[in-house]
Amino acid sequence: MTSATMLEPASPAGPGSPAGPAPYRSTVTTGLSPARVARSEWIKLRTLRSTWITLGAIFAVLVAAGLFAAAATGSDSSSGAAQGPGLGGDPVSTVLTGANLAVLVVAVLGAVIGAREHVSGMVRVTMAAVPSRLPVLWGRLIAFSAALVPVVVVGVLVAYVGGTAVLDANGADTASFSDTGVARAVLGTAGYLFGIGLLGTALGTVLRSTAGAIGVVIGGVLILPSLAGALLPDSWSSVLQYLPSNAGTAFTQVSAGSDYLSPAVGACVFAAWVVVAVAGAAAALVRRDV
Amino acid sequence: MIEMHQLSKRYGDVLAVDSFDVTIRPGVVTGFLGPNGAGKSTTMRMVLGLDTPTSGSVLVNGRPYRDSPAPITEIGALLEAKSLDKGRSARNHLLALGATVGVGASRVDHLLELVGLGDVAHKSAGSFSLGMGQRLGVATALLGDPAVVMLDEPVNGLDPDGILWIRTFLPALAAEGRTVLLSSHLMSEMELTAQHLVVVGRGRLLADVSMAGFIAGATTDRVRISSPDAGRLRELLSGPGVTFTSETRGELVVQGIPVARIGECAAQNRLVLHALVPLVPSLEEAYRALTEDSVQYHGGTGWTVGIGVPAPARPALVP
Repeated sequence: MTSATMLEPASPAGPGSPAGPAPYRSTVTTGLSPARVARSEWIKLRTLRSTWITLGAIFAVLVAAGLFAAAATGSDSSSGAAQGPGLGGDPVSTVLTGANLAVLVVAVLGAVIGAREHVSGMVRVTMAAVPSRLPVLWGRLIAFSAALVPVVVVGVLVAYVGGTAVLDANGADTASFSDTGVARAVLGTAGYLFGIGLLGTALGTVLRSTAGAIGVVIGGVLILPSLAGALLPDSWSSVLQYLPSNAGTAFTQVSAGSDYLSPAVGACVFAAWVVVAVAGAAAALVRRDV
Repeated sequence: MIEMHQLSKRYGDVLAVDSFDVTIRPGVVTGFLGPNGAGKSTTMRMVLGLDTPTSGSVLVNGRPYRDSPAPITEIGALLEAKSLDKGRSARNHLLALGATVGVGASRVDHLLELVGLGDVAHKSAGSFSLGMGQRLGVATALLGDPAVVMLDEPVNGLDPDGILWIRTFLPALAAEGRTVLLSSHLMSEMELTAQHLVVVGRGRLLADVSMAGFIAGATTDRVRISSPDAGRLRELLSGPGVTFTSETRGELVVQGIPVARIGECAAQNRLVLHALVPLVPSLEEAYRALTEDSVQYHGGTGWTVGIGVPAPARPALVP
């Protein structure tokens, strides 16, 4: 980094054109790179307190809800099997109950990250610094991933280990990490949360409105499928199983059942939704005036 | 250097920028002057690649800005001072933007001191006054030590110290060989800072001319006379083509007679003169003469102006 001040006369940058003084050459000699833009986005993300509060909330919800659900299952249960509304039917979905709530917080965080600069007007400063624009989206997704992935992975693991310990102490059924589908469901839940975060960022980028993006992710992606499943005839289930949340259920449950895709197909379908949304965000970002 | 070729932008039915053919040259401060809504900000956004031109093109240092390998070292811009994420400190705001081309903390801290924000570097930018926001905006524009500096209404909301600073600072930047483009609707500010003028109104380019040439082009041969014998002088000077545009007791403003003739006339008739002043038009008057027909949001008069082309008051000014 140079320490030259702005008011020092420019050193001769070469032969001046006859028409006027030699054009000024910046003392900054480094240029744009994807890594530098990602670093810029990382600085933006980590220097807002709301990022850390929201990430903390995601972790807290995952762990606390898992522990409470496990405690409730153990003490309520006379038969040993998990029950109670919304707590799922198996030990893994009991200890990962927090994911149902955490997914809302993740969606909000993603939407805010995607839409924030469009709302504040900061986007014009950002895009003036990176006029090719796409590196901003990639950098933002990388920075968000770097913050979100550790939180959701550690979050589901702590919820699983802690919740299982509580279930065990209460004498309820537990699931071993080595049991079929357990590791996949636990880590799949982290992957699902991560994907919803990216989906929120993509929609925030397209809609340029925090409220709009939150509405679409929570309403369209998370609520609509269950609403449609309840209202539409059963013959529609072969279509509904491709919706993002139903595809997510396919790989976040130890055994989701016959209404859902296989875990591998479900993961691919869910990933495809995320890729399509991000591609849409990229197209919107490049084409539209900011 | 900024080169606009037939640059146009249409929003629905409104042609916000109509075929601008202008080159903004290095080495001088160019004033970008026009009433609100004239197309100044739209033009600046197109220069930065934020808005895509409807037709035409604009080059920054010889190429489209989107292709720049080191954008903020080529052009630094201040558009809207308060357009930033409110929760971030001024220093972190600059660090994040500087990171795009590898500008680090030492230059960021230097710039914060330079614009007078050293004491509030760690305060949230959302808590800044408009003037402080403008200072942060100037620091942002200078972050990459750019060859082109483009400021949209930088003195808007700035305190007197800051205005004085801008007034000396921008010419210093231009003297280093940078291209400096400064937009304003404040003519007094332009008169003190800019050496070249690009004047726009209702999306049309009205003038691309040196400041001196612009004012000279609007010269009127008006002379202010202060004399105890003003009434007598008026009688003597009256004639075809001579108008007296304003008079108070002991004072006349005469148009249509060279100042030397007035002096000779007074001497021949042994009349006392207290003052004989040729009136040089201000930038403001020159500007009014040019934009009178192109003011988009005209207040009060109740008549619509500028339908069709702006009146070619001084067509010679546009090359």
